[in-house]
Amino acid sequence: MQKKDIGLGILIIVVGAIVYMRNPLFLSPINLGNTANLIGLFGLFAIGQGFVIMTGGIDLSVGSVIALLGVLFVDMVGKFGVPWPLAVAIIIGLGVLIGLAHGILITRFRLQPFVVTLCGLLIYRGIARGYTAESTAGFPFGSSYPQLEWLTIGRSFGIPHSFLAMLIVAAVMWVILHHTVFGRHLCAVGKNEEAARFSGINTRFVTVMAYVICAVLASIAAIYFAMFTKSVQPSSHGNFYELYAIAAAVLGGCSLRGGEGSVIGIVLGAVLLQELQNLVNLLGIPSSLNFAVMGAVILLGVLADQQFAAYRTRKNTERALGLLQKS
Amino acid sequence: MNVLELKNISKRYGAIQALNNVSLAIAPGEVVGLMGDNGAGKSTLVKVIAGNFAPTSGDILISEQKAEFQKPLDAQKAGIEVVYQDLAICNNLSAASNVFLGREPTRRIGPVKVVDYAFMRSKSAELFARLKSETRPRDLVHKMSGGQRQAVAIARTLLSDAKIVLMDEPTAAISVRQVAEVLNLIRQLSDQGIAVVLISHRMPDVFEVADKVVVLRRGELVADKKAAQSSPEEITGLITGAIEHA
Repeated sequence: MQKKDIGLGILIIVVGAIVYMRNPLFLSPINLGNTANLIGLFGLFAIGQGFVIMTGGIDLSVGSVIALLGVLFVDMVGKFGVPWPLAVAIIIGLGVLIGLAHGILITRFRLQPFVVTLCGLLIYRGIARGYTAESTAGFPFGSSYPQLEWLTIGRSFGIPHSFLAMLIVAAVMWVILHHTVFGRHLCAVGKNEEAARFSGINTRFVTVMAYVICAVLASIAAIYFAMFTKSVQPSSHGNFYELYAIAAAVLGGCSLRGGEGSVIGIVLGAVLLQELQNLVNLLGIPSSLNFAVMGAVILLGVLADQQFAAYRTRKNTERALGLLQKS
Repeated sequence: MNVLELKNISKRYGAIQALNNVSLAIAPGEVVGLMGDNGAGKSTLVKVIAGNFAPTSGDILISEQKAEFQKPLDAQKAGIEVVYQDLAICNNLSAASNVFLGREPTRRIGPVKVVDYAFMRSKSAELFARLKSETRPRDLVHKMSGGQRQAVAIARTLLSDAKIVLMDEPTAAISVRQVAEVLNLIRQLSDQGIAVVLISHRMPDVFEVADKVVVLRRGELVADKKAAQSSPEEITGLITGAIEHA
């Protein structure tokens, strides 16, 4: 665990303690379960976003991908009667294709990630709305898919399966980032692409794979969100979700300049974001102020982190100087 | 036996003759100072040796064997390593990670191949010890001095059992004390039988370590003599053209 992760963990506990003192419902099993579910849903695609940010890129299309794939998934299973395992495979396959498209446009055609994925944001949202003619996609009345529901919205010992899915994904991605050659190369490409290329790393492959990972995790999240909301309203489903993902990744210590980040940090970032959402509800703050609270806390957190880092360097320099003068 | 021999190397870019009939022989462990003004052809010569592009005419011999480099990797396989001016290292990674960048060792845990950090650390500690550098494998490169960074870049070349190391201005952007450190690293390489081609503008550095000084002027080799038999004044004259030939 890195220092930043520990700091973030402390912040989560402090905020949690304050909320609990004002409203003890915060630690009630129902509230914890619901919050864990949301952490799972948002954490899933925040991890993918983190990988893209570590390459020095950004993926703005996540929210629209969740809407489009959500609509398609609901329609496939609910309207066309596609068996759900096949539908899951198709959705994930589409995620791979979307990620490949982004990655290839960015590496082969040298377009900026911001532009490519901004166009993606508009295109996928547009297709979702056009395909459904703005009507809400939903499952037929009275239909039920026990196994699919168990996997997505079920609970074991009160723990929502979306949260467990996120933990499993996080564990896998942690191994990939910190303990595989690909993870090393990802950090190298994000910090100094030229150096990575001189070292014989296939930098294009690494970058493309980051976008594929992001889109695949977004597609898995799309299925979870669709099952959670049970109906997908194409113009509003998943709006701003890319920003939640970016916020979680940045809170979790990913540098937008690339090359830095940790999976544990991203998960903690997602936890903090949902905790703040929850805080707005529990403390009776008008929910219209939701975004303002979130923005303010992130800003303060980042500011405090920066100040603290500067303070630490100053202390270290002073100590080093002191040692020099003594000797 | 020469580890590297260039025979009548010429390189043309359209109408520009960047290198004209350059011939040069380098023995194992020899430190060659390659000097010349901007545009004299130093970089072109280095790029030809490193396999970045093929010469228009002429031959390259590695250990008396004719070599044809299609791409930098071919040259690397033949034992030629380049330490780039801007160092081609990643600041956010540890020294050990940088030494092994692109060639990470792995071990298997069940079906997954994971990076073998322990081996990376012990091997790079060994390489730093061979270079008599105090660089620690776990330290992040962005916290290091210029001299230590050079040690990291040079340790990379040791990893692949290089025969020749080409160094492009390794002492350009670092402090005086660190220059001494880098020159020491060069001596260490030479002691281990690795030939070093040192491209530099800094006359004192070249005379401090080089066995031989080579001067290029307008793509032609105008001097190839023992450093001990030359002087900074003579080399300056050769670089500017005040002295025609040595």
